[in-house]
Amino acid sequence: MELIERYLQEIGRRLPSRQRTDILSELRSSLVDDLEARSAGQPRQSDVVALLKEMGPPEQVAASFHPEGQYLIGPGLYPLFRMVLGIVLTAVVGAQLLAVLIAVALRDQPASFLDSFWGIANSLPAAFGFVVLVFALLQRLEIKPEASDEIFDPLALPSLAEDEPVKVGEQAFSVIIGVVVLVLLSKFAYGGGFSIRYGEGIFTNPVIDRLFFWIALSMALGILVDIVLLWRRRWQPGTRLLKIGANLFSLSVLALLIQGHSAWLASAGAGGLFESLARLPENLAAGTQLVGMAAFRLAFVVAFVAEAIETLVQVYRLFRSMVRPGSDLPVFVWRS
Amino acid sequence: MRDMIFASQSENYEKLSQELRRGILVLATLSQLDEKKYGYALISQLSAQGLDVEQGTLYPLLRRLEEQGMLDSSWDVSGSRPRRYYAINADGRSVREALKEDWQALVVSMEKLLSHDKR
Repeated sequence: MELIERYLQEIGRRLPSRQRTDILSELRSSLVDDLEARSAGQPRQSDVVALLKEMGPPEQVAASFHPEGQYLIGPGLYPLFRMVLGIVLTAVVGAQLLAVLIAVALRDQPASFLDSFWGIANSLPAAFGFVVLVFALLQRLEIKPEASDEIFDPLALPSLAEDEPVKVGEQAFSVIIGVVVLVLLSKFAYGGGFSIRYGEGIFTNPVIDRLFFWIALSMALGILVDIVLLWRRRWQPGTRLLKIGANLFSLSVLALLIQGHSAWLASAGAGGLFESLARLPENLAAGTQLVGMAAFRLAFVVAFVAEAIETLVQVYRLFRSMVRPGSDLPVFVWRS
Repeated sequence: MRDMIFASQSENYEKLSQELRRGILVLATLSQLDEKKYGYALISQLSAQGLDVEQGTLYPLLRRLEEQGMLDSSWDVSGSRPRRYYAINADGRSVREALKEDWQALVVSMEKLLSHDKR
């Protein structure tokens, strides 16, 4: 009989306190009835063991009193949870990257760059935890998204075109170009810095040297995202988020490069972007280094603008795919 | 018949068989509770009719039916040990009648589907 009490104790530990005594009293009574029936009033240890084995492990018995399952966020809320989580994480990362960009634009502090990204990485678990907490609370209060009153119309289903296929040729080309440039950059890095020999002189770019690690990292990330897109073959919210993340990182690096070149040119007395273009003939005579640096800065500015436009387009498409046209975000109601 | 099942499918069969029995268990339970009964007596009665039910399945089911307002329960402490008795109420009876009709219609359909006289 002690074995039965030990068994009930293990079940009780897993039952809600409100029902514990009631359920355990009923199970105890039933187990003793069963035991008496099978042992004709003289139960042996082996009878008890056989009975409890038939009944099943305590955790299994306790779980059967929660037929709806035990979870923080149920299947009813889960799709909404995923959507909100995606939006919150994008917003958290996006806002912080923007803050880094602004900080970089205001002052050239590459040393704090790594700290900033570490800070962003650290903020993600907190954001995730916060969203889980809110949804667990909604689940606990039994608040559910309102079921749509509209009559389901199959003809109103979104067209297949909304799930856009990835252009394989475009992505493959992008991967190849990315790898070639990365290899060339690495050759420069291991060959004593970024320098181009021309005639008798050597053009060197100290800004690219200084930021080589970040350039390489951003390009590697870009290649990785292109490979993922080639593999998935379809634009989905996840792949779009990945692309936006890689683009934001690349924008930060480009901003650093532009800032670095501007600082170098300013110290060399070349002036701003438009001023240096206007003074091109004069500078050509003064030295190739100056012209080279100005050309690099111009190229990076063009790249920055192109990348920023592409990122904005991706963000727009992401939100368009998350919120379907003609439907509002779910409304919360108290379940009666 | 069970010997004919491939060893690789025996686990799947067990699950499917369990699901099939779980579906009819509500109606089987409601059918036996016109007079109040405690859990173990109900298990014995169902077993005597060829329907074996585990305690771990029956007790949660009885509680759920009571929560849904189809059964009433009360503790009887007068015997050798306290026992919780369950009995069907008016709501339970109306649900039982509807389920009974469903069951009879299902039996007819399944008989047709499983008969060897394929059209």
